[in-house]
Amino acid sequence: MPQLPTAHFESASTLAVVMSSNEPLLFLSDDLRIIVASASFCRAFEIDPASVPGKRIGELGDGEWAMPRLASLLKATANGSASIDAYEIELKRPNQKTRQMVVNARTLDDGDLDHIRLLLAITDVTEMRAEARLKDDLVRDKAMLLQEVQHRVANSLQIIASVLMQSARRVQSEEVRGHLHNARHRIMSIAELQRQLSTSAGGSVELRAYFTQLCQSLGASMIADPERLSIEVKVDDSTVVADVSISLGLIVTELVINALKHAFSDERTGTIVIDYQSSGKDWTLSISDNGIGMPDGDDAPKAGLGTGIVEALVKNLNSEITLSSGNPGTVVTISHREASGLRADMYSAA
Amino acid sequence: MKNGRPVVLIVEDSPIIRMSAVDLVLSSGYEALEAGDADEAIRILELRDDIDLVFTDVQMPGTMDGIKLSHYIRDRWPPVKLIIASGAEIVAESMLPGGSSFFSKPYDEITITEAMANLLSSESTHTAAV
Repeated sequence: MPQLPTAHFESASTLAVVMSSNEPLLFLSDDLRIIVASASFCRAFEIDPASVPGKRIGELGDGEWAMPRLASLLKATANGSASIDAYEIELKRPNQKTRQMVVNARTLDDGDLDHIRLLLAITDVTEMRAEARLKDDLVRDKAMLLQEVQHRVANSLQIIASVLMQSARRVQSEEVRGHLHNARHRIMSIAELQRQLSTSAGGSVELRAYFTQLCQSLGASMIADPERLSIEVKVDDSTVVADVSISLGLIVTELVINALKHAFSDERTGTIVIDYQSSGKDWTLSISDNGIGMPDGDDAPKAGLGTGIVEALVKNLNSEITLSSGNPGTVVTISHREASGLRADMYSAA
Repeated sequence: MKNGRPVVLIVEDSPIIRMSAVDLVLSSGYEALEAGDADEAIRILELRDDIDLVFTDVQMPGTMDGIKLSHYIRDRWPPVKLIIASGAEIVAESMLPGGSSFFSKPYDEITITEAMANLLSSESTHTAAV
């Protein structure tokens, strides 16, 4: 029977509480001898419970607890000059994997200043840390995969745009070249959305940034003289989901191409304004220009592919399109009202 | 320069994008050379001393990606101008050699044409300074 280090005896209930603790605990005297260890401690670290009382912490097991850092921290805790709060240590045992531990130590506050005793709690966080690392790895893998997909999408769109432009440079017909350029604008509009999505969180798109980039790219390739023609983007702070933004982006692309091609054909100066405002679920998008205005009657242009695309997207967004005169110029307004959207659904279903 | 025409080396692993880039360079009135990866690009640069500009992709198979290649070129052939294009949205400017131009894919061909013209027009002053 090992000899107890002091003549002081702990109450049986204190010892019982420590012994039955679910969390591995050591109850120590101020000279760092173990008064009692919890059964959970002995089980977790494979220590014979009978061998524990009276031993110094460094003498436990095969000496794996003889860590100078731990001893010095415990001494400092005992004399009140430091405290151990979630201090991390590594437990190294022969032929076993190193375990990561988090230790907490407190002096027992029972009013007995002559007998300082320490309570040392040891939590094995090896599995927890491994899980956290695994989770970090998964998050990193996912981010890399997403980046890889984005590269591939960008590259695929580049292939399509490149082929179209190569065709455009080869064809003789001005009209065909125009169609090929339009097709490329539509692809670039989708590419711009992809770019916005790749930098946004949660798959939503900030319309102002998206439309601004979109119009910059349209302007760069379609406006020869920026002094003469400009595109202005006036959009509120709306963010929309990817599906809606792709439709809005394509509508803006078509209408801006249309305005740049037809509204300023007489070399006049002018501005195209893209405006988007929302209130709750209702929103209004307008594309206006101060150009020559839409010809009507027999002079009205035949509806082209662009018109077809806009009409299909407007319908898909449960919205309505109106064309009005801008005095001068043309205003195209697309508006979505939550209630009227429902009516449109019923109408088309009938 | 070859016969008074600037020479542009295109480095791109995708054959269709490379073909279109060659077409773009030719239609801008320059001489075009092509390489499928960085190693081939370096072999071509070692064989010829008339290359004015390298237009490179970033993600490519081989020992170097486009960013490493561009640094290698800046280091070994300082007067050669660089245009770098990538499908990755964010390539930090600090990762690229000074004076190079970066564009994300899909790029606007007009923007590339302008960038080439800008870089090549500053060539005479650059080489004079070297």
